[in-house]
Amino acid sequence: MSEEIPVKAVQVKLVLLGEAAVGKSSLVLRFCQGDFNENTSPTIGAAFLTQKCRLENRIVKFEIWDTAGQERFHSLAPMYYRNAQAAVVVYDVTKSASLEKAKAWVKELQRQANANIVIALVGNKVDLVSSSTASPAEVAKPKVAENEGGADAEENEDQEDDASPSPSPSAAEEASDDVRQVPTAEAEAYAKESGLLFFEASAKTGHNVGEIFTEIAKTIPFDTISPKPTTAQSGNRRSANTNENNNVNLGENQQAKKGGCC
Amino acid sequence: MSLPLHLRSYREKSKDEYTRDFFNVPTQASLPSSSSDTPSVVKIRDKGYRNNELELQGMDINAVISVEGKEEVYAGRLSLLPPFLCFISLDRKSCRCTIPLYTIRRVERLNSRAGVFALSLATWHGMRIILQLTSLLPTAEHFAILLRDALKSQLAAMKQLKPFLPSLYSEYLLSSPLSTATGQQQTDHLLLGTELSEKPNPTAPEGEGDLRGPGGEGKGIYQRGLGEQFGFPGDARKMRERSKMKLWREYFMIHGRNLTLLRYPPFQRLLQVGLPSRLRGELWEVMSGSVYLRFANPETYGLLLSQNAGKSSQSTDEIEKDLNRSLPEYKAYQSEEGLARLRRVLVAYSFRNPELGYCQALNIVVAGLLIYMSEEQAFWLLEVLCDRILPGYYSPSMEGTLLDQRVFESLVHRCLPMIQEHFVSVDVQISVASLPWFLSLYINSMPLIFAFRIVDCVLAMGVKVLFQIGLAVLKINGEALLEITDDGMFINLMRTYFSTIGDSAHPDHPDPRVRAITNFQELLVVAFREFNVITDETITAERKRLRAIISDEIEKFSKRAAVRNLKNIGKFHKDQIGIIYDHYFSAICSPEAGPSSYTSNPLPGDQFDQPRIQVDAQGRVETRIDHRTFRVFLSQIATWAREETVTTNAFIQRTDRRVADHELIDRLFFAWDSQDQGTLSLQDVVMGLNRVMTAGLMESIEWFFELHDKDKDGFLTKDEVIQLSESLLFIFRNEPGDIYLAAVSKFILNAYEFGDATAPEGSVDEKVPINGDSETASGARERSDSSAGPHNLPYLNLATFRMVVLADELLENFFANDLTASFQLEQTEDEDYHQAHQRSEGLLGGLMNLVVTNENKNRLNRLADGFGAALGKHAEWRKPSLGKSSGTDPTLTPSSSSDLKARESLLTPAQQAGQIQRPTISPGSSRTRSSSAVSQTSIKTTDTTGTNTPDDKRSLADVEMRYREESQMVKAAQEAVMHRPNFAIDAIGDSDDEGGEDDEGVMDEVEAFLKAHGADDEGLKGEQKKVAEDLLKAEPMDAKKKTKETGDLVDL
Repeated sequence: MSEEIPVKAVQVKLVLLGEAAVGKSSLVLRFCQGDFNENTSPTIGAAFLTQKCRLENRIVKFEIWDTAGQERFHSLAPMYYRNAQAAVVVYDVTKSASLEKAKAWVKELQRQANANIVIALVGNKVDLVSSSTASPAEVAKPKVAENEGGADAEENEDQEDDASPSPSPSAAEEASDDVRQVPTAEAEAYAKESGLLFFEASAKTGHNVGEIFTEIAKTIPFDTISPKPTTAQSGNRRSANTNENNNVNLGENQQAKKGGCC
Repeated sequence: MSLPLHLRSYREKSKDEYTRDFFNVPTQASLPSSSSDTPSVVKIRDKGYRNNELELQGMDINAVISVEGKEEVYAGRLSLLPPFLCFISLDRKSCRCTIPLYTIRRVERLNSRAGVFALSLATWHGMRIILQLTSLLPTAEHFAILLRDALKSQLAAMKQLKPFLPSLYSEYLLSSPLSTATGQQQTDHLLLGTELSEKPNPTAPEGEGDLRGPGGEGKGIYQRGLGEQFGFPGDARKMRERSKMKLWREYFMIHGRNLTLLRYPPFQRLLQVGLPSRLRGELWEVMSGSVYLRFANPETYGLLLSQNAGKSSQSTDEIEKDLNRSLPEYKAYQSEEGLARLRRVLVAYSFRNPELGYCQALNIVVAGLLIYMSEEQAFWLLEVLCDRILPGYYSPSMEGTLLDQRVFESLVHRCLPMIQEHFVSVDVQISVASLPWFLSLYINSMPLIFAFRIVDCVLAMGVKVLFQIGLAVLKINGEALLEITDDGMFINLMRTYFSTIGDSAHPDHPDPRVRAITNFQELLVVAFREFNVITDETITAERKRLRAIISDEIEKFSKRAAVRNLKNIGKFHKDQIGIIYDHYFSAICSPEAGPSSYTSNPLPGDQFDQPRIQVDAQGRVETRIDHRTFRVFLSQIATWAREETVTTNAFIQRTDRRVADHELIDRLFFAWDSQDQGTLSLQDVVMGLNRVMTAGLMESIEWFFELHDKDKDGFLTKDEVIQLSESLLFIFRNEPGDIYLAAVSKFILNAYEFGDATAPEGSVDEKVPINGDSETASGARERSDSSAGPHNLPYLNLATFRMVVLADELLENFFANDLTASFQLEQTEDEDYHQAHQRSEGLLGGLMNLVVTNENKNRLNRLADGFGAALGKHAEWRKPSLGKSSGTDPTLTPSSSSDLKARESLLTPAQQAGQIQRPTISPGSSRTRSSSAVSQTSIKTTDTTGTNTPDDKRSLADVEMRYREESQMVKAAQEAVMHRPNFAIDAIGDSDDEGGEDDEGVMDEVEAFLKAHGADDEGLKGEQKKVAEDLLKAEPMDAKKKTKETGDLVDL
């Protein structure tokens, strides 16, 4: 298990932000445990989870801070996003207000957080929006096309998506007029304009969840992250810890199964 | 956008309030007075609330307490805090009690030979408490009189006692004799038979029947938690529930129970080994004092639920989302019953305290409480938690949480400097781990059975326990903590530690007794022994020191967020928006904005009908300003919206500022109210200012016209023309000379002339503008005179108005430049409001604060004026708001329109703040405040010819002493930590693993804590004790002198 992992495990501190009840915790849970649980554990301040990812020749270890969405916890958020290399800002595609809040978070991150922070904008709950599930994947892919070879098609859901007919974004918007309040194109345009990665995902079905983290891992400029002096030691400690930890087993199973990331 | 308004209204508690808090005595406001007819369901937040009908006087006195059947006698301080009688022993830990006067049935003065003034109190259940009042006789007699009055006031409450008592488990416990309790165990199990299979410990041995008590229907109507139905967490046998219950029962027999519980040294020991599950809920409410609230407000909880049934709010939505995430591992919260209870308590509280509403983490806390408490019990304990024990933890800005995290960091820095340094070096914040500890009282951090033992201690001893435990956790894990390099490792380490907290702390030790010590026991020992230097006073002092910093941070943070979240900032620069925000905020906090400023949620039917906080379309809470506040706001920005009086005398020159009042300001208010809500949001204000401040000549004329066109038909009526002129005159009111008056007169004349010439034809309902080209002026005049109600007909349109204005050079200039320029965005001094306003503790600062108060300043000003007048140098004039005319003015304003800026610059930004009026004109902002204050001080001391000097001297000494004490305390604390003795492992007794429960075992554990705690019973010895013993046998002195009986309670 851990001895097979190449020495180069890179840590990535990632923070999840977004309005209450957009499904931040569910996304993380899906990512870390492949699970969708309605009764997720409470988030006081922030929940802390870890998950490993294999990306090309390196292992990326995500340390995920899943922050509380309630407005009054806002002032605590800087504690969690400081030093973060990546942020996932989540909104709910069925609630337009949540995109506004997401934009506010993006603004805040761009002003207050690490200069090089990689931000991904994620519209969650696409499962509630009928028949448009495939389009976001299509939308997301062109951006990162050049890197595509490294980590692809690990998730079952992803394969399903690929198999399903993928209507054009505009068609998708028309099809899902009722519940959907945030058109894909609108959010995507905003993401492009602000230099964010963009995904529409579903924590419930698992659609696109893995991709979010894969893309983030690819986008982070690892070469510029100078390893801390104690990295080797901490790496050892970590793998020792992780053996006791259930998360990692799941992660490793997935790795074994798919040989890819997550 | 919700502003943290309450931060500025914060004031330190008075000594009296601290005393009340210490004894868990609720404030007067939360106890309904006997005459109030309807119980108020929503909290009265006003701090200045006074029970005005009859304010019962409280009093402190030295006393010695003893109880019948108990050897120990304690000297201490007796406090009468109506309607409570409280005692604390001199060492502040051995003995204390809070006794509601309504539980006292009889008070007698005892006839003692020693000649001491002694009172015997008999509680309703016959416990006798002897109090020797050791002060001088007259003082003691005075105290007795006050006590009698206070007792009399409680007659009504005494009647409520009888129906209340059955709700308490301890009464039930004591009413069932031991033998029958054990005998009942069979039936008990039969009744509970159906539930047995669901219990976490289905093979529970029979022996615990009496400790669970007969829980079946009809057997005791005491308030009970979910645990009675779904099983309490933990193994009752391992936790020695039965022995603990027996010990508590014995304790109750002698030391009183529930409302009359006295805390003697055994209490502390029984507490620290963990409360028995069935008694826990009741002891929680007794120790925290929430039981007094439940007693005093029997209907409130039910009313809250029934009055708000079916209502939904942002809070109820948020509660709904979190219900399933509240201790889901506990059985009850997988059932509808448990979730329904949790929902009801949280929802009821959110309506009780709408300002706080609901905060994540409360779901965890309440879920924990409900295992041991009924809904009503949990509700009142929640109120005590939010108000007193964890103040500000769950409020919308969570300032209490942020503050205590900072306090915790500072304590870590003080007590565990190595760890602190390491954390700084690897850039890890302790709060990432410690925040949930504090917010959820460790309930979410460690296994429930241990977490609840910490809750026991927090409720009994106060918030300092959270800090002590936190410090102990860090200390125990110290070595490992020095290895961590990032917050992930930190979290994992803490998680691992907490998950093994029930394991042996010394698994490899040869001695089985040492092996039996768990990590948790060790944690408690370290927390309460090594960190007993952390006292309530430490926490209070640290909070006081750091509060200003936190408040400023929160304000800056919410300012950033508010500015960022504005949808439209017009043509303003971000910094200008910041200034507008500062003015907006300071206006709300300004005392001139009226008493409702701080009570952001007025009571229904309250006289302040303008809500300050509203929920916007997206369910967010928004702060808005009402009309009165707007006047204050505008006075800070528009030069004509304030009255400035410049006073010079022989010594100083100062500018006093008042808020002006005129219809024009009201017009602006309503014009800017884009959503017709009667209140303005920051966005409204920004857009309003954007329009008036970026306007050129034509735009200015236009908005000024629109402002006076009430029905928005594009025409002013004759009345409105007059009103417009009045507005102009108002703006020009303080301009010297009469050119403005002349201009306005001319304007009126011209307006009528042009108006007559161009007035629309037809009647009221025909609003089509008609150019009056074909009409002759006289014809028009005739018509307008003859037609009905000429004064409210459409009369002057915008084009004509513009023409009239442009006809006058002065007015043209005014609209082209002066009007726009009269709105000025200047920095307030608010940036570091709290720190600037904090009373510095230093020697000089303390002195200064004592001397320079607002009161003093006013006196000083008057005094200086007096001197000035005497010297013939007193002068006062109104400052013009535009300053167009060339100076007929004395000294101050060399004015012409181009000099506007130069003149304004005489005013420092600090002075622009309006709400603080300062006598000297000094350059710079808040920093220079102190220097100006210093100069005042010197002026004062020279001028007042020493009348205040003795006072000052004394207070100086006070300050110095306090300062010295504090530094000594800190030093002592540090030394105590440095020289800690190795912790007494040997003292921890063995605990037998094999089932045979015996009291010895528990007491071993108890003894261990006793030793670890270093608490010898510090009862009085010798003489005084003997006196106390004698008193127990003493006869009442004179029955009629101070006897009080309430017949209703005799047969209880």
